[in-house]
Amino acid sequence: MSKVVRRMLVTALLVVVALSLAAPSLSVTAQDEPVTINFWHAMSGSRGEVVQAQVDEFNAANPDINVVAEFSGSYAETLTKALAAYSAGEAPDIVQVYEVGTRTMLDSGAIVPVMEVSGGELDQSQFVRPILNYYAIDDELRCMPFNSSTAMLYYNKDLFEAAGLDPEQPPQTFSEVFEMGRQIVDSGAAPYAISFGWPAWILEQMFGMHDQLLADADGGRTGLASEIYFNSEFGVQVLTEWQRWADEGLLFYGGREYSANDPFIAGEFAMLAQSTSSLGGIENAVEFELGTAFLPALDGYERTGNNVVGGGCLWTMAGQTEEEYDAVWRFYQFLSQTDQSVFWHKETGYFPATNAAVDALEEEGWFDENPNFRTAFDQILAGNDTVASRGVLLGDFVIIRDIVGAAIEDAVVNGVDPQEALDAAVEESNQVLEDYAALAG
Amino acid sequence: MNIVFPNRILPYLLLAPSILLVLIFFLYPAVQSVDLSLYLVNRVRDVKVYVGMENFQRLFESDAYLNSLQVTGLFTLTVVVSALVISLALAVGASQPIRGFGVYRTLLIWTYALSPAIAGVIWALLTDPAIGVLTEVLESFGIAFNWRRSNTDALLFVAMAATWKILGYDILFFLAGLKNIPRDVLEAAAIDGAGAWLRFRRMVLPLLRPTILFLVIMNTLYASFETFGLIDITTQGGPGRATDLLIYRLYLDGFRSSSRIGLASAQSIVLLLMVATLTIIQYRFISRRTFYQ
Repeated sequence: MSKVVRRMLVTALLVVVALSLAAPSLSVTAQDEPVTINFWHAMSGSRGEVVQAQVDEFNAANPDINVVAEFSGSYAETLTKALAAYSAGEAPDIVQVYEVGTRTMLDSGAIVPVMEVSGGELDQSQFVRPILNYYAIDDELRCMPFNSSTAMLYYNKDLFEAAGLDPEQPPQTFSEVFEMGRQIVDSGAAPYAISFGWPAWILEQMFGMHDQLLADADGGRTGLASEIYFNSEFGVQVLTEWQRWADEGLLFYGGREYSANDPFIAGEFAMLAQSTSSLGGIENAVEFELGTAFLPALDGYERTGNNVVGGGCLWTMAGQTEEEYDAVWRFYQFLSQTDQSVFWHKETGYFPATNAAVDALEEEGWFDENPNFRTAFDQILAGNDTVASRGVLLGDFVIIRDIVGAAIEDAVVNGVDPQEALDAAVEESNQVLEDYAALAG
Repeated sequence: MNIVFPNRILPYLLLAPSILLVLIFFLYPAVQSVDLSLYLVNRVRDVKVYVGMENFQRLFESDAYLNSLQVTGLFTLTVVVSALVISLALAVGASQPIRGFGVYRTLLIWTYALSPAIAGVIWALLTDPAIGVLTEVLESFGIAFNWRRSNTDALLFVAMAATWKILGYDILFFLAGLKNIPRDVLEAAAIDGAGAWLRFRRMVLPLLRPTILFLVIMNTLYASFETFGLIDITTQGGPGRATDLLIYRLYLDGFRSSSRIGLASAQSIVLLLMVATLTIIQYRFISRRTFYQ
């Protein structure tokens, strides 16, 4: 064998060795090792720290279980990853999924309903009614309510005062938003008047609180929805108003998630429609006096429905051992304990999920001392529980929300006619629903 | 050097690992994409319905996709032209015999070490509509720049970040190319009375053709394939669909959605065909007039 060939063979051998070293090594689990529960969540920043604190406390109290919490990206990414991991046989035990993913999770065949996980032990009546209503299908909870929120209006009382407005009188209707916004901008109190987080979700909220149905099949709750109604007269009217605010220089467009929070904190505008879950973060960061109020209603429509519940729920992935389900159930029980629920609420602004936690908070006077935390609660309990206000369940909702989000941007940023923008979005979304239904069999 | 192998099989054996890697990680998924593009697929539940060419037909009837084609064309053109012009100018400057050349060179090429996503974060901070430093500076010149609110600004913004990020790479190659140009040729021209501009246009530029050809291809590939992170972390395709590049649309349909993987596969095939065609055209067009040393 020539020298060169020998050298090549040695190299090839080295490569093979290196590859085999790089391959995942097989590990054998000993009998007395704790059960590992992988928990993927989408809570970044301060919220993520709160989740970790809860997990640490649970692990310390339960030495036979080791819950490993892992931040797995945004809500949409977490959903995608968990389902891809399931197909690959590497799913986590628990995954946090936002309201948009509910239908997808239900139809995925990749989950075990929480009632089953608990072996029928879960007492549904412990949960606050609107939260239960959102996540229950045919009156049965499918996932463990964890971080529920809704959207409300945050406002900067200092800027209201600077503009000569009464800081205790936030706008209640769209026309008041417009008038007050005009005054805020004209008086030079702030460059802009209002912004949104999650604009497509705020639009969904508008449908819910005005008791406007968003899709057929009772909003996708009694069957697969095949048609959405974003381009109804009501939807177009809402978007037309938003477009008017933008055209008049009142609306600061702040992106699709939480990007609007920073400029609000910086005083760039006086009002922000955002998830109630931002309350903890905003309250800690602002140097002005913060007010909160119900989302303003559209003039000419009754505010009859509840505000739709959003946020995340914990889903249990299928294909695990009995032992693991046991551990998962114990973790769920821990999270819904009153002290944990209270801690979670105080730190983040998400709803305390159980009635007992609400009572405990009332008792200690938390809501009286922190009226901003009360607003969200009052709001979801203010309206009636109707089909429309329970929120819509759509197949492949992730992409539909992207489509509607782009349509809203087209209207408020690019000046596209609201009717046209929503018509196009609905046509595209209905195609998505049709595909989804075709594959649901 | 000429090596003669003792038998005919050994060379193939030695090549086998690389070929295997290409087969498994490139060819097999590519074939799978072709297959998937003919189906309506639910990724989660592993259900497929055969639809033939419908995915392709749908693509070219979809406003969103046609918009992406247009946006990507504009974006790629802007990035390639501005990256090449700016990097050539900087490289020519940096190749002059100046003090501290090594420092300049290092500073000029280090953007290459960043990922597009990081470039996006940096530029998003610099030009944040509310708190960006650059926004303030522009404002003091009376220029309102807001990539969240304006289509043009948004496209300009991502093109700017993408260009800035690729500059380091281009400069590196231009510096090497410039170094390879024989000094005596330029000196002879200078003695014959050719000015700096004439020397650049008539001698340096033609001698750099191979480098330029290479960079045009690489930059086109970069702009059309590697800018996903940049878009995802900044505009997410918005406002509306102003920065919805083909590669981002592919991600939305293929990964955010659970039932559009067929459509996404069709997109990846179209994208592949486009880039391949473009590369061939560019190669043919530029290499005809390229002088290889």
